[in-house]
Amino acid sequence: MNAHHDNSDDGYDEAVLNDAEFDDGLLEGELRGAAAILDPVPAELRRLAVEAFMLRDLDARLAELTFDSLVDAIPVRGVTDAPRMLTFRAGELTVDVEVTERGVMGQVLPPQPARIEVLGGLQPTAPATLTADAMGRFAGDVPTAGPFALRLRTGGEVVVTEWLRA
Amino acid sequence: MRAVTVPATAYDDLPYTRGGAVDRADVGALVQSAVDGDAAAWKALVEGLSPLVWSVVRAHRLSDADAHEVYQTVWFRFAQHLGRIREPHKAGAWLASTARHESLKVIRSSRRLTPTDDPQLLDRVSEDRTPEQSVLDSEEAAAQSERVRRLWQEFEELGERCRQLLRVLMASPPPSYQEVSAALGIAVGSIGPLRQRCLRRLRARLDARGVL
Repeated sequence: MNAHHDNSDDGYDEAVLNDAEFDDGLLEGELRGAAAILDPVPAELRRLAVEAFMLRDLDARLAELTFDSLVDAIPVRGVTDAPRMLTFRAGELTVDVEVTERGVMGQVLPPQPARIEVLGGLQPTAPATLTADAMGRFAGDVPTAGPFALRLRTGGEVVVTEWLRA
Repeated sequence: MRAVTVPATAYDDLPYTRGGAVDRADVGALVQSAVDGDAAAWKALVEGLSPLVWSVVRAHRLSDADAHEVYQTVWFRFAQHLGRIREPHKAGAWLASTARHESLKVIRSSRRLTPTDDPQLLDRVSEDRTPEQSVLDSEEAAAQSERVRRLWQEFEELGERCRQLLRVLMASPPPSYQEVSAALGIAVGSIGPLRQRCLRRLRARLDARGVL
């Protein structure tokens, strides 16, 4: 099937090979069918993904995740419940966030006041709101189960962090 | 997305075209339309690439709850990044890679790790019946249904590497090798041989159990 173009004697071997490839394809197809039956994408998830289009915040600047303790920090032996430390960056603006069981706390840098909405997906209720003081510090008992993002209004602009699963 | 930059192996010469050529051809155009605000294009992207994202999450054996959250996170983030994706035609690989990284994070934060090799999966009845599921309801299809279950069971008992690879390959439409590579962090060139080995291993198991 690759370098063999002299179809004289190895025709049989090629047929065997092609049969095997064909069978592989059939079995893979059968598995695909089985997955569609036994482990399909849940319909409500598909719907949420469709609706995610409405979540786009066209006026906001995206703050990308630049540090995640889950990935970038060396775990300390014996410490199993260390808080999740995250850093987001949008240009000059940095947002440090610490997520614990109880809520979030963090700081906007350079230090400045901000209104911060804690977005939690497509929830019907209004998002919880926190206020960063003049030092840029904020804290609140906001549960962050599941996907979340922070939407910050500082002086003249709106910044939204990348969605993340807490 | 296509095999242009991929070192050719015997397996890349397969006559059938994986997602790369046919089903994914429009992905770049759909992404562009979605960037321009076309909600229908976005919906088409969700329909076409949801099974890939779900397969990647499932390949990592996340629990139902974790799988749901990762899936949502991936799509929310994709919506955020829409206009910044450098190679729109590779959106599938972007999604697969994001799903992989988020899945690995879940596994790392072991506090919430609950592996999903629960046998209930086999008996689970979704409230939303897909056409394929409805087929299982008919009496005549009992034998077919039994075969599907046994096939799935043998698949679940494969080694971890094969189970992961096959779970991703099962996405519908079939993922391109570039997407599989992004989904599992393995080289494109190794996918063909690994796929062949895993499928044959599975067939041997089915043979031994008299399922084939």
